Amino acid sequence: MSPLLHSAYLLDAAVFSPLVIGALLLLFGRRLSLGSLAGAANLAAIAALMQLVTLIINGRSGGESPFGAFLLEPMGAALFGMTVVVGVAAVHRAIRQLPGVEKPHAYLGLILILWSGTLGAFASPLSNSEGAIKAYVYHEFALIPTFILTVFWGGEGRRMASMQMAIYLTLGAMAGLAGLLIALNSATASSSATGLILLGFGTLVSLFPFHSWAAPGYSAAPSPVSMLHAGALKKFGLLMIIQFAIGHLGAWSNLLLWLALGNTVFISLVCLAQRDLKQLVSWSSVAHMGPIFLGLWVADVTGKADGVHAAIFLMVAHGLSAAALFSLSNDVRTRTGTYRIEELGGLANRTPVLAAFFVAASMASIGLPGFANFWGEFGIFLSLRDQSLWIQAAAASTIIVSAIYMLRAVAAVFYGPLNPEIEKSSASLHDLTWSDRLIPLFLLGASLALGFNPSLLTRLFTP
Amino acid sequence: METNLLDWILFLPLASAVICGLLFRQSGSVAGVISIGSAIVNSILALSLLTHLQAGDTIAWSREICRFGETSLTVGYSVDQYSALMLFVVTFVGAWIHLFSWGYMRDDSARGRYFAGLSLFMFSILGIVLANGLVMTFIFWELVGFCSYMLIAHYFDKDFAAAASKKAFIVNRIGDLGFILGIAACLSLYGTTDFDTLKVAVAAKPAPALVGFLLLGGFIGKSAQFPLHVWLTDAMAGPTPVSALIHAATMVAAGVFLMARIFFLLHPDVLQLCLWSGAAMAALAGLCALAQTDIKKSLAYSTLAHLGIMGAALGLGHPELALLHMAMHACFKATLFLGAGSIIHGCHHEQDMLQMGGLARKMPVTFATFLVASLSNCAVPFLAGWYSKDAILEAAHEHGVLVFALLSIAALATCLYSGRMIRLVFMGEARSEASTHAHESPWTMLLPLIVLGLGYSVFAGNYIGIPKASVSVLPAPMHFHFGAASIVGLGSLIFGFFGALWFYGRSKSDALRDASPALYGALERRWMDNLYDGYVTRVQQPLVDALAFIDLALINGIGGKILGAGIPAGLGALSRRLFHTGSARVNAAWFAIGALLITALLLGIL
Repeated sequence: MSPLLHSAYLLDAAVFSPLVIGALLLLFGRRLSLGSLAGAANLAAIAALMQLVTLIINGRSGGESPFGAFLLEPMGAALFGMTVVVGVAAVHRAIRQLPGVEKPHAYLGLILILWSGTLGAFASPLSNSEGAIKAYVYHEFALIPTFILTVFWGGEGRRMASMQMAIYLTLGAMAGLAGLLIALNSATASSSATGLILLGFGTLVSLFPFHSWAAPGYSAAPSPVSMLHAGALKKFGLLMIIQFAIGHLGAWSNLLLWLALGNTVFISLVCLAQRDLKQLVSWSSVAHMGPIFLGLWVADVTGKADGVHAAIFLMVAHGLSAAALFSLSNDVRTRTGTYRIEELGGLANRTPVLAAFFVAASMASIGLPGFANFWGEFGIFLSLRDQSLWIQAAAASTIIVSAIYMLRAVAAVFYGPLNPEIEKSSASLHDLTWSDRLIPLFLLGASLALGFNPSLLTRLFTP
Repeated sequence: METNLLDWILFLPLASAVICGLLFRQSGSVAGVISIGSAIVNSILALSLLTHLQAGDTIAWSREICRFGETSLTVGYSVDQYSALMLFVVTFVGAWIHLFSWGYMRDDSARGRYFAGLSLFMFSILGIVLANGLVMTFIFWELVGFCSYMLIAHYFDKDFAAAASKKAFIVNRIGDLGFILGIAACLSLYGTTDFDTLKVAVAAKPAPALVGFLLLGGFIGKSAQFPLHVWLTDAMAGPTPVSALIHAATMVAAGVFLMARIFFLLHPDVLQLCLWSGAAMAALAGLCALAQTDIKKSLAYSTLAHLGIMGAALGLGHPELALLHMAMHACFKATLFLGAGSIIHGCHHEQDMLQMGGLARKMPVTFATFLVASLSNCAVPFLAGWYSKDAILEAAHEHGVLVFALLSIAALATCLYSGRMIRLVFMGEARSEASTHAHESPWTMLLPLIVLGLGYSVFAGNYIGIPKASVSVLPAPMHFHFGAASIVGLGSLIFGFFGALWFYGRSKSDALRDASPALYGALERRWMDNLYDGYVTRVQQPLVDALAFIDLALINGIGGKILGAGIPAGLGALSRRLFHTGSARVNAAWFAIGALLITALLLGIL
């Protein structure tokens, strides 16, 4: 193997090259052509992709990186790998959008910075206190471009949504940080610190009932930002909870169960009421956090790692499928000018490839075997096996409700006769081009790889 | 025995599906050749497996596919002579249906997608047959559900196909909820989900009824048992060969196969439920078939009735008989559906039996095969259907009078709707333009009909039925014993079949509807479908809308009020003013400054 793949600088390069190139584009990219912008963005992804390949080949990461002191620990490595895939897809989504975007250099630059911050958050080792604080800082650092991108380049309702997002996320992150600092500075785990960590970082992951920011936030954000935020960045909160709260939840355990069921059951039902494709994908992204939290809960209750491992699997899988759904919904929007489900209908007649990808992404999202999400959900259900039956049933009810809302949307958007309004209004109802296809191919390909060979990921956890 | 052969059998269809789906979606003929070729090769491989496998042999192989903490999940093969037989039935019937599709789908513009779907389905169903345990079964169980969804939605531009595909998938998932919980329960109780180890463990510690009830959920969904039967009749929206392969011969039978495999897990209470719901559904669905004018829907009710009979056989404690009936049903029902396909093709896509008539002369080969398969369906002695149905009736007779009565009604109903179908479709005068100009189908469609219909429906019982499956469980004389079952069978054949031929000859439309509109209406009405539709529109939708409102008004509202007022108060008047300007730019700046401050603070701490 090439010595380059073993180089300790690779991880540094993976995290920092999007940052450096993003910053350069932001500051000096005004005059660059769209082609050069895209080229620069692709350049930024090289090191990250190489790091992903090393991770896949070696099954674990190398040592600590010399410059940023990054270290891929098992959980972080899983999410880092997913963030590389989602980031590449999101950057390409952004590149596809550039012709219609104001200040394209700033748009692309900020997205690269957002990606870099997310990579940094997952590449920082949580097992030592310095690394945990650093991960926190990278996460906050990634939230800044998220917010700015939503405010300036977002869609309908972006001001309200970004304000609400800022309030919730700032508060949540502060509470989490307070808990983290207490936990790091005391020898024994205190209950209040655990509670702050759980609810504070839980807010970052849209834990019920602190989820109100999430669906409007993802919906209002530009699609590449939704992909990176809902797919990758928010999972940072879960990592912090796993690292610092699970195992000593104590009195908080029951609360977590009920809140997790809130995501699993309540939010899933709320998904059924959605009438806007992007809102639906956003809400489902909140609902899918429910089983993940249940996995964490059961790991705390039983003291076994089953639930956590399955939850991490689902975190990775959900990142891929949610990013694919956001990207494909955006494809629908660019062709029809709308996200409203009732204004769509019968698109498969004209865009069969888009429809096929959307069906595949929906199937991934609702846990069809063959895609990664299946192993995550199934593993979590099995990890709940010694709990009471009603908890198991409530957890597994998600396979029914998610099938209802996703397939209903698929049928309403893609099946049936072509909606005559669309036929009239959009002359350019063309199918996905080859370069359009690369984005879902990359995301769903990664999901399929994990679906067929789940040990690619689970081997990270077994020494 | 090598597992190599099993690898080939399993992965050949997957390869075909991937190649057809990715490369030949635009060129349907190439996709068809690949898909049909792989199906034929597969049936030959399955035949060689069946002939090489000695009685009592099992091929077992498994490996860990992944591990979550202490939970190790394995996949692998476990093949004994029953599953080898099932493998052969599936691949053999499948191969002929593939060939039939060549002719039937010739003018379809989406043939590439269709054949990719068929191959993917073969991969999925074979996975169920080969599976070594509940985990692998569940994986492929879900995949057949997806294939069924995809193929029902083949004519996706029709609203009814869109609705039917969605319904089939969702209803199956309701059953799968039970299946998942059942798997978890097995893992919790016995620490394994592999059939072989599970069997040993259950022998030491019998399974509680709950496990069986949960696993039964999967069976009820996939095999369209009451009350989850509602998707099957709608699934007829798919192309007819799909109805033959998936919704008659194989997928719906997979539930029976699973139940037979985990029979050792089933508590007597579970079997009781299985028995009564199966027997009741057999009788009712058989009668409902009399009130359908669409030939495919009528056949779908017939399938429901037969699935009920299989469920009853399981409940009677005879999984072998259920499997035998499944194999027999697969061949004659596939023939009937393919025959229906040939008729529909010949009548220019007319499916209403009242618009047909007099087709016997115009489509002689279709008529002959349809007639033979119908007689097999009616359990005429020594035809395929007779071997299994007669034995099940006999077992019911031993069990008790009520079950026997229900299954006898089912037997009578079978003869009635078969006679009605023959009378309406093939005899009398043509009742529409379409049937006047009907033409016989091409040889690619007739050959499968002849092989499956004349060959298989007639002789299958002789060479598969008795020697392979049933001789070990049933006393040999039962088949030739002139008992209550034979009386019912022959009686219903004579009165039912010939009675129907006479009765339905009396009127130009449906004779039962003329004679008793109330009875016909009651049978035609879709009670459970209406109930579910009512639930979805009157209960579920208002409920979720209310929940969404609660979320917006209460959770979001309270959160917004507390946080929106609370933080600015906490951060002082400056930020409060900034917040209330409502300017996004200011907000962005504020957020950036705050985050940078925190960052600086933290770096300072370090």
